[in-house]
Amino acid sequence: MLAQPLRRRTVLLVDDNAVVRTLVRRLFAVEADFEVSGEAENGREAIEKAVNLRPDLVILDLAMPVMNGFAAASELRKSVPDTKIILFTVEEAEGIDRLANEAGVHAVVLKHNAPELIPQARSLLDSEDEADPGKLRTAS
Amino acid sequence: MTSQHVKYPAWQREFEAAIAEDDPKTLRQRVDAAESAIFVRLQNVVGDEEGQALHEATQRLRVIQKDKLGYPDWNKR
Repeated sequence: MLAQPLRRRTVLLVDDNAVVRTLVRRLFAVEADFEVSGEAENGREAIEKAVNLRPDLVILDLAMPVMNGFAAASELRKSVPDTKIILFTVEEAEGIDRLANEAGVHAVVLKHNAPELIPQARSLLDSEDEADPGKLRTAS
Repeated sequence: MTSQHVKYPAWQREFEAAIAEDDPKTLRQRVDAAESAIFVRLQNVVGDEEGQALHEATQRLRVIQKDKLGYPDWNKR
Protein backbone atom coordinates (compact mmCIF):
# COMPACT_ATOMS: atom_id res chain seq x y z
CA MET A 1 0.00 0.00 0.00
CA LEU A 2 1.37 3.38 -0.98
CA ALA A 3 1.66 6.01 1.66
CA GLN A 4 -0.59 8.99 1.20
CA PRO A 5 1.41 12.01 0.03
CA LEU A 6 1.61 14.69 2.68
CA ARG A 7 -0.72 17.55 1.91
CA ARG A 8 1.15 20.74 2.49
CA ARG A 9 -0.88 23.51 4.05
CA THR A 10 -0.51 26.79 2.20
CA VAL A 11 0.34 30.00 4.03
CA LEU A 12 0.02 33.64 2.99
CA LEU A 13 2.40 35.95 4.87
CA VAL A 14 1.19 39.52 5.37
CA ASP A 15 3.53 42.09 6.89
CA ASP A 16 4.72 45.48 5.68
CA ASN A 17 8.25 44.64 6.83
CA ALA A 18 10.23 42.52 4.36
CA VAL A 19 12.64 41.28 7.01
CA VAL A 20 9.80 39.97 9.15
CA ARG A 21 8.30 38.22 6.11
CA THR A 22 11.65 36.63 5.28
CA LEU A 23 12.23 35.35 8.80
CA VAL A 24 8.72 33.94 9.09
CA ARG A 25 9.05 32.35 5.65
CA ARG A 26 12.22 30.60 6.91
CA LEU A 27 10.34 29.26 9.91
CA PHE A 28 7.74 27.62 7.66
CA ALA A 29 10.27 26.52 5.02
CA VAL A 30 11.75 23.84 7.27
CA GLU A 31 8.35 22.34 8.05
CA ALA A 32 7.36 19.56 5.62
CA ASP A 33 3.65 20.11 6.08
CA PHE A 34 3.66 23.82 5.22
CA GLU A 35 4.28 25.79 2.08
CA VAL A 36 4.36 29.58 1.86
CA SER A 37 2.30 30.30 -1.23
CA GLY A 38 2.45 34.08 -1.20
CA GLU A 39 3.30 37.32 0.53
CA ALA A 40 1.57 40.67 0.84
CA GLU A 41 2.63 44.04 2.24
CA ASN A 42 -0.69 45.36 3.49
CA GLY A 43 -4.25 44.32 4.20
CA ARG A 44 -5.63 45.31 0.81
CA GLU A 45 -3.01 43.31 -1.04
CA ALA A 46 -3.61 40.41 1.36
CA ILE A 47 -7.28 40.22 0.39
CA GLU A 48 -6.47 40.26 -3.32
CA LYS A 49 -3.88 37.50 -2.94
CA ALA A 50 -6.02 35.42 -0.59
CA VAL A 51 -8.90 35.41 -3.07
CA ASN A 52 -6.55 34.17 -5.80
CA LEU A 53 -4.43 31.77 -3.76
CA ARG A 54 -7.05 30.42 -1.34
CA PRO A 55 -4.45 29.72 1.37
CA ASP A 56 -5.20 27.48 4.32
CA LEU A 57 -3.72 30.07 6.65
CA VAL A 58 -2.96 33.79 6.71
CA ILE A 59 -0.29 35.16 9.05
CA LEU A 60 -1.40 38.75 9.48
CA ASP A 61 0.46 41.73 10.88
CA LEU A 62 -1.57 44.42 12.65
CA ALA A 63 0.06 47.79 11.92
CA MET A 64 0.34 48.14 8.15
CA PRO A 65 -0.14 50.89 5.58
CA VAL A 66 -3.26 51.11 3.41
CA MET A 67 -5.28 48.61 5.48
CA ASN A 68 -4.45 47.33 8.95
CA GLY A 69 -4.73 43.76 10.19
CA PHE A 70 -8.10 44.08 11.91
CA ALA A 71 -9.77 45.58 8.85
CA ALA A 72 -8.13 42.95 6.66
CA ALA A 73 -9.24 40.10 8.94
CA SER A 74 -12.86 41.22 8.75
CA GLU A 75 -12.71 41.29 4.95
CA LEU A 76 -10.85 37.99 4.74
CA ARG A 77 -13.52 36.24 6.77
CA LYS A 78 -16.06 37.30 4.15
CA SER A 79 -13.90 36.66 1.08
CA VAL A 80 -12.20 33.42 2.11
CA PRO A 81 -14.25 32.01 5.00
CA ASP A 82 -12.39 28.69 5.08
CA THR A 83 -9.01 30.35 5.59
CA LYS A 84 -7.69 30.53 9.15
CA ILE A 85 -6.12 33.75 10.39
CA ILE A 86 -3.32 34.21 12.91
CA LEU A 87 -2.69 37.78 14.00
CA PHE A 88 1.09 38.13 14.40
CA THR A 89 1.73 41.30 16.31
CA VAL A 90 4.09 43.04 18.68
CA GLU A 91 1.13 44.75 20.34
CA GLU A 92 0.30 43.66 23.87
CA ALA A 93 -2.08 46.51 24.60
CA GLU A 94 -5.17 45.87 26.62
CA GLY A 95 -8.09 45.08 24.38
CA ILE A 96 -6.09 43.49 21.55
CA ASP A 97 -7.67 40.09 22.10
CA ARG A 98 -11.16 41.57 22.12
CA LEU A 99 -10.55 43.52 18.91
CA ALA A 100 -8.95 40.46 17.30
CA ASN A 101 -11.95 38.40 18.28
CA GLU A 102 -14.35 40.95 16.84
CA ALA A 103 -12.38 41.05 13.59
CA GLY A 104 -12.70 37.28 13.21
CA VAL A 105 -9.08 36.38 13.95
CA HIS A 106 -8.64 32.74 15.01
CA ALA A 107 -5.43 33.07 17.03
CA VAL A 108 -2.97 35.69 18.23
CA VAL A 109 0.80 35.10 18.39
CA LEU A 110 3.09 37.80 19.73
CA LYS A 111 6.09 38.75 17.63
CA HIS A 112 8.56 38.18 20.44
CA ASN A 113 7.80 34.48 20.14
CA ALA A 114 7.86 33.88 16.39
CA PRO A 115 8.63 30.11 16.60
CA GLU A 116 5.27 29.69 18.34
CA LEU A 117 3.66 30.36 14.96
CA ILE A 118 4.34 26.79 13.84
CA PRO A 119 2.62 24.84 16.64
CA GLN A 120 -0.18 27.39 16.73
CA ALA A 121 -0.70 27.07 12.96
CA ARG A 122 -0.63 23.29 13.11
CA SER A 123 -3.04 23.17 16.02
CA LEU A 124 -5.42 25.59 14.35
CA LEU A 125 -5.45 23.74 11.02
CA ASP A 126 -5.72 20.33 12.64
CA SER A 127 -8.72 21.48 14.62
CA GLU A 128 -12.10 20.53 13.31
CA ASP A 129 -13.65 23.45 15.11
CA GLU A 130 -15.43 25.87 12.90
CA ALA A 131 -14.18 29.40 13.34
CA ASP A 132 -15.80 30.72 16.44
CA PRO A 133 -15.13 34.27 17.59
CA GLY A 134 -15.48 33.00 21.14
CA LYS A 135 -12.56 30.61 20.71
CA LEU A 136 -9.69 32.99 20.08
CA ARG A 137 -6.35 31.36 20.84
CA THR A 138 -3.51 33.38 22.24
CA ALA A 139 0.17 32.58 22.51
CA SER A 140 2.67 34.93 24.08
CA MET B 1 18.49 57.07 25.12
CA THR B 2 21.02 59.06 23.14
CA SER B 3 23.49 58.06 20.48
CA GLN B 4 26.34 58.97 22.85
CA HIS B 5 25.30 56.10 25.06
CA VAL B 6 24.30 53.03 23.14
CA LYS B 7 22.99 50.66 25.74
CA TYR B 8 21.36 48.24 23.31
CA PRO B 9 23.57 47.99 20.23
CA ALA B 10 21.41 45.29 18.62
CA TRP B 11 18.66 47.78 17.78
CA GLN B 12 19.14 51.18 19.42
CA ARG B 13 21.08 52.84 16.58
CA GLU B 14 18.46 51.88 14.03
CA PHE B 15 15.72 53.12 16.34
CA GLU B 16 17.41 56.47 16.93
CA ALA B 17 18.01 56.89 13.20
CA ALA B 18 14.27 56.44 12.63
CA ILE B 19 13.36 58.90 15.37
CA ALA B 20 15.80 61.48 14.02
CA GLU B 21 14.85 61.12 10.34
CA ASP B 22 13.37 64.31 8.90
CA ASP B 23 13.25 63.35 5.24
CA PRO B 24 9.86 61.86 4.42
CA LYS B 25 11.39 60.02 1.47
CA THR B 26 13.64 57.92 3.68
CA LEU B 27 11.52 57.80 6.83
CA ARG B 28 9.73 54.58 5.86
CA GLN B 29 13.07 52.91 5.17
CA ARG B 30 14.42 54.01 8.58
CA VAL B 31 11.31 52.85 10.41
CA ASP B 32 11.43 49.49 8.63
CA ALA B 33 15.09 49.08 9.58
CA ALA B 34 14.34 49.87 13.22
CA GLU B 35 11.36 47.54 13.24
CA SER B 36 13.46 44.76 11.71
CA ALA B 37 16.23 45.16 14.30
CA ILE B 38 13.66 45.17 17.12
CA PHE B 39 11.91 42.09 15.72
CA VAL B 40 15.17 40.14 15.51
CA ARG B 41 16.13 41.22 19.03
CA LEU B 42 12.72 40.20 20.37
CA GLN B 43 13.43 36.60 19.37
CA ASN B 44 16.14 36.47 22.03
CA VAL B 45 15.55 36.33 25.70
CA VAL B 46 15.96 39.86 26.98
CA GLY B 47 15.84 41.23 30.49
CA ASP B 48 12.98 43.23 31.89
CA GLU B 49 14.77 46.54 31.42
CA GLU B 50 15.55 45.95 27.75
CA GLY B 51 12.12 44.44 27.27
CA GLN B 52 10.58 47.66 28.53
CA ALA B 53 12.89 49.71 26.30
CA LEU B 54 11.86 47.58 23.30
CA HIS B 55 8.22 48.07 24.16
CA GLU B 56 8.62 51.85 24.39
CA ALA B 57 10.59 51.95 21.14
CA THR B 58 7.87 49.98 19.39
CA GLN B 59 5.21 52.37 20.63
CA ARG B 60 7.19 55.34 19.32
CA LEU B 61 7.57 53.69 15.94
CA ARG B 62 3.81 53.11 15.86
CA VAL B 63 3.22 56.83 16.44
CA ILE B 64 5.56 57.71 13.56
CA GLN B 65 3.84 55.21 11.30
CA LYS B 66 0.44 56.65 12.16
CA ASP B 67 1.26 60.36 12.26
CA LYS B 68 3.95 60.69 9.59
CA LEU B 69 3.53 57.68 7.32
CA GLY B 70 -0.26 57.59 7.27
CA TYR B 71 -0.78 54.07 8.57
CA PRO B 72 -4.42 53.48 9.54
CA ASP B 73 -4.97 53.49 13.29
CA TRP B 74 -5.98 49.97 14.29
CA ASN B 75 -7.44 51.28 17.52
CA LYS B 76 -10.16 53.19 15.67
CA ARG B 77 -12.70 50.91 14.11
